[in-house]
Amino acid sequence: MRKVSLAGAAIILLWGMIAAAQNISLQFTGGAFKVAGWQAPSNPPSQGWSSVFAVFAGKGDVPPLLGSYAVEGGALVFHPTYPIAAGVEYRAVFHAPAGGAPVEKAFAGPPRPTNRIARVERVFPSGDVWPSNQLRVYIYFSEPMSRGEAASRIHMLDSAGKELAGAHAVFLPGEELWDPDFRRLTMTLDPGRIKRGLTSNEAIGPPLTEGAHFTLVIDSDWHDARGVSMVEGFRKAIRGGPAERTPPDPKLWTVTAPRAGAETPVVIAFPAPMNYPLLQRMIRVSGPNGIVPGTVAIGREEREWRFVPQQAWAAGSYQLVADTGLEDLAGNHIGQPFDLDVFNKVTERIETKTVSLPFRVR
Amino acid sequence: MHLKSKINSALMVCAAAGLALTFTTISKTAPANESLPLGKVPLTSAGALAFGPNGILFVADSVGAQIVAIDTQDAKKAKAGAAVNVEGVDAKIAALVGVPADQIVINDVKVNPISKNVYISASRGKGPDAAALIAKVDTTDKVSVLSLDSEHNAAVSLVDAPESKATGRGGNPRMQTITGMNYINGNLMVAGLSNEEWNSALRSIPYPFKTAEKGATLQIWHSSHGRYETQAPIRTFVPYNIGGKPYVLAAYTCTPLVKIPVDELKPGAMVKGAEIADLGAGNQPLDMVPYEKDGHNYILIANTSFGVVKLKADKLESYPTIGEPQRTDVAGVPYDKVGNLQNVQHLAAVDSSNVLVMTGHPGAGPAYNPGPPVGPINLNTVALP
Repeated sequence: MRKVSLAGAAIILLWGMIAAAQNISLQFTGGAFKVAGWQAPSNPPSQGWSSVFAVFAGKGDVPPLLGSYAVEGGALVFHPTYPIAAGVEYRAVFHAPAGGAPVEKAFAGPPRPTNRIARVERVFPSGDVWPSNQLRVYIYFSEPMSRGEAASRIHMLDSAGKELAGAHAVFLPGEELWDPDFRRLTMTLDPGRIKRGLTSNEAIGPPLTEGAHFTLVIDSDWHDARGVSMVEGFRKAIRGGPAERTPPDPKLWTVTAPRAGAETPVVIAFPAPMNYPLLQRMIRVSGPNGIVPGTVAIGREEREWRFVPQQAWAAGSYQLVADTGLEDLAGNHIGQPFDLDVFNKVTERIETKTVSLPFRVR
Repeated sequence: MHLKSKINSALMVCAAAGLALTFTTISKTAPANESLPLGKVPLTSAGALAFGPNGILFVADSVGAQIVAIDTQDAKKAKAGAAVNVEGVDAKIAALVGVPADQIVINDVKVNPISKNVYISASRGKGPDAAALIAKVDTTDKVSVLSLDSEHNAAVSLVDAPESKATGRGGNPRMQTITGMNYINGNLMVAGLSNEEWNSALRSIPYPFKTAEKGATLQIWHSSHGRYETQAPIRTFVPYNIGGKPYVLAAYTCTPLVKIPVDELKPGAMVKGAEIADLGAGNQPLDMVPYEKDGHNYILIANTSFGVVKLKADKLESYPTIGEPQRTDVAGVPYDKVGNLQNVQHLAAVDSSNVLVMTGHPGAGPAYNPGPPVGPINLNTVALP
């Protein structure tokens, strides 16, 4: 038996044709399935066109493919609602209203792609020391990926190369948090182990023990959105650092102001690494004429934020405006630790939405 | 009293209560189910589902940053004993839309409380271009897919976040994955997880939707030992009466279960709540179904790691709130593991005696985190345990 590829132009090849009406052929052309050689009436039979002609996209007891019927040039044509897919075997079946054996024909969808193009581009935090209460990890891929594989493709190994599993697993199970392009995956380390006072934190400890060595491993078998594995896997060595319990404090940030007339950046240096995606959007520059458009770059393992304006700086007073939702690596945000100790630090909660740091361009 | 002192006092009260909840606005109960305009359903993804009045199906569209209400026109009361049992529902949906079964990702399942027909949100494909699907399984077990070209529908946008820098493909990488929805007293309550910041909000959206009415947001806090407060996202929740008062029972992503009183949700109010159980680490709650059996109250909870548990929910009002330092853990409210419900991916309430269970073989990941199930995905109506 030979299947017909739909990848090319309309191809007609008979398969298993047992029909009495030898001149009837089933064709695939222009994205639609057609009954050639049978003069279709202008109106459907009482049981509907599907009683005459149906296309199936699966084996066994499955319903027929969704689509619509039309009589075009005297021929019955079935237009599938969804485009033809790779890896599917389609089976078109025609039952002549006059009776007789059905005419059947199999069509293969276009071939699946096989060329490997995807790889892990970056992982954040980019540093190799992560606080023991690290909250989130962001994995950036070069291509859109398939969802549903994170659980089996991402591993955290201990210093002996053994995967941290069971009660010692570091990542929270559950749905995968992708960006709309499926090129960035957000993983969450188990907050039950990060949050002080919970049973799991006290019994098992934080996800990344201070001083211990770990390896983050991402398998090359992960499929991209086309269903093809990656070019290569990814490994990153990590050491557990001290827990980060102090919320980011803008008073401790060092601002380097640019000079007037230059296109040099205004730079903020942070005493500890910050959350990479939030740095991209939670700090902006406000000047004499409102928000200053420009480009943000993050450096020094997320300890530095640089902003270059679209136009050279004009002399004057500016503000760096930071959203208080800006987090460090452990989910502490400005004025608010991840887990607030209400006995000792209740006064630290800040209710404002933004904080401002002034700088002057001369 | 100085403003700062007032705030601190209020915070201490809330900390002592175990959970503080600020609710900025809430609309009055809206008339339900005015006819929705007929047209294309603008879904770019189909995630969490919830039923509203008269067969209105709410569909969370995380990629499109919106909630869509579809009038299913499916409001004919079911016959007694109506049940759905389908083996390989993933393969049947796949056959309808013309993809291999492994390219169907099922996101949520709910039972229409009137007709008892089952609705499934899914995607055709696993990448960013996957098409959103709403499948229906009727009580004769017939599987169909809603035509999204022409349904009575309305949408409300959830976009209110500051625009982030565009990625190379022009998209905004920030996204709120909506994990749970419930229609309560004229409002759609929506819980979600952000793929960027940690402290996601619970949102209350009046229904019928109004233009530019994105709803109020609630900041949720929960504490442990009455000492450490965390602002954390709610993972799944249900409306629930405790001691004759309406509450929201909410399960968090680091698995504490808290009760939040509904009738105190007034503009500007700071509402006391309480953590009543902690199911433990390395787990996410998936679905909760409250029920009553033999004169006792239970809540069936499906989990990613711990399987299905049956919380003994009699006299929840008698369990202490976290008013002073004390451990809250699995001993808070007792529960039993339901051993005969294995590989459960979703639970959906059917009636007072039955629950719909969606099961599938564990995914390829390790036992504690197998990932999405592999087919066949089965739907079964089973007696509540």
